[in-house]
Amino acid sequence: MSDQTDSFSKENSNSARASGSEIVQRPDSQPTDNRTVLSDRRTFLAGAAGLLGMIAVSSCTWQEFFQNNFRRMSKEEIEQTVHRLQEEYKKKYGKEFVVGTEAPLDATLFGYGLDIQRCIGCRRCVYGCVEENNQSRDPQIHYIRVLRFRDGNMDLEQSDIYYDPEEVPEKGYYYMPVQCQHCANPPCTKVCPVQATWTEPDGIVVVDYNWCIGCRYCMAACPYMGRWFNFTDPGIPKDQVNPNTHYLGNRPRMRNVVEKCTFCIQRVRQGIYPKCVEVCPVGARKFGNLLDPNSEISKIIKTKRVFRLKEELNTQPKFYYFFSI
Amino acid sequence: MKGKIVIPKVALLFFALGLTGLVLGLGTGSIRAQSQDMGAALEADTLDETQASKLESEREFPVPLTPLPKTITPCRACHGPEKDFPVNFKRREDLLVHKNLKLNHGGVRVWCLDCHNPDDRNYLLPLSDGKPIDFEHSYLLCGKCHGTKFRDWRSGIHGRRTGKWNGEKTYYRCVTCHDPHSPKFKPIEPMPPPRRPWTPKETKARH
Repeated sequence: MSDQTDSFSKENSNSARASGSEIVQRPDSQPTDNRTVLSDRRTFLAGAAGLLGMIAVSSCTWQEFFQNNFRRMSKEEIEQTVHRLQEEYKKKYGKEFVVGTEAPLDATLFGYGLDIQRCIGCRRCVYGCVEENNQSRDPQIHYIRVLRFRDGNMDLEQSDIYYDPEEVPEKGYYYMPVQCQHCANPPCTKVCPVQATWTEPDGIVVVDYNWCIGCRYCMAACPYMGRWFNFTDPGIPKDQVNPNTHYLGNRPRMRNVVEKCTFCIQRVRQGIYPKCVEVCPVGARKFGNLLDPNSEISKIIKTKRVFRLKEELNTQPKFYYFFSI
Repeated sequence: MKGKIVIPKVALLFFALGLTGLVLGLGTGSIRAQSQDMGAALEADTLDETQASKLESEREFPVPLTPLPKTITPCRACHGPEKDFPVNFKRREDLLVHKNLKLNHGGVRVWCLDCHNPDDRNYLLPLSDGKPIDFEHSYLLCGKCHGTKFRDWRSGIHGRRTGKWNGEKTYYRCVTCHDPHSPKFKPIEPMPPPRRPWTPKETKARH
């Protein structure tokens, strides 16, 4: 990426120099009106050529530029894209990457449960998620926000995410982690002008990073603040990057795209629990198939008191907060 | 003129009646199909329950056993019949050799020999079937008092599990997270809070 940007800046400076020299020459040749028009046209053409060259050489390859939406790609196109991405990531991070494209499993609809009485607000899930999903460390992107409330208060406006005591849980407080709620009626996918984000048949809301134009309408539409924007190239240390990725999930992102929690699509499509479920030290996080009556999440919904965040907005989240007692 | 209109009207009426009949028929059909489905689901549920009760009667629950450290079981080295440590059911604060243990489980309601088998210290007390429980299956004994928690744990609502959500899992047993002698969860240090977003410093500019 860095050498590409270098070539971009070189190209830019070259064209700048060329146009500069023309401006210097102009008074010597005493141009008529006609000539100024011509020279303007020339500079315009040079600029256009430079712009095209910039697109071709610097920002991305032709292959990447003409890449289709993931849902419209043929099998061969997917294979080519995966190969290209693997090469690109190997060059950038010096590791062999696996970019999976596993399809959704039959008869699965993922649901998530979070035991709000058990969560102690230790933020192990936040950092487990960052490691698993190749989030940018600097600038910082956390898919999970842990909100701290005073006992008896449920006003989101009065919650705090910057709490930093010596030990948790603290007396008089309770904690509520919030991440993408994977709504069945998601406002974020509706507003996308290019359909770069959609709901998969297994209920996961995903983003095609290569198709995203970075307009951030989805971030404005999401009532849970579950989406994040890469304002710069994501900063991930080479030794901490996770090479087991999925095309729609945790593959390294680029600048100017939106990203979000995908229930660890690279793990759950292979049958493994999401990372946040596995790292929770108190076992407050539960995950399973809503269509299977014997799954953990189905039993929670059947036997426990559950609620969904901002239910009144009719987003129909598949993320259930529950009370275990 | 009127007759000419009446005939299509009657035809239309019959057509509408027929249509409603068709719709009703289809509707009830689908309800029947649903009720059949419900029946099947109910049967499946009862089957599951019988299976569950069978499992319970055999005391088996598919928990992969992680071997415990050998040091905790040669209790008989001291507590065996030949050593003849007197069995003392009385509660006392000074635990002689077991000074590292601070019993903080259920206050005065629970004492060592409410869980540990006084006749064979290598085992825990038996359930009502009389078979003593070994330390690997301690969760069975926990379930004796904490029945609702045990039920939740069995269905995966309480406790931690890792592995596959649709296949082989690693179960965390009661004693993996809770110290049986002092089961209350200990507070831990939280990970650092997120960085605050960059905000421009207050300027003297006036609008």
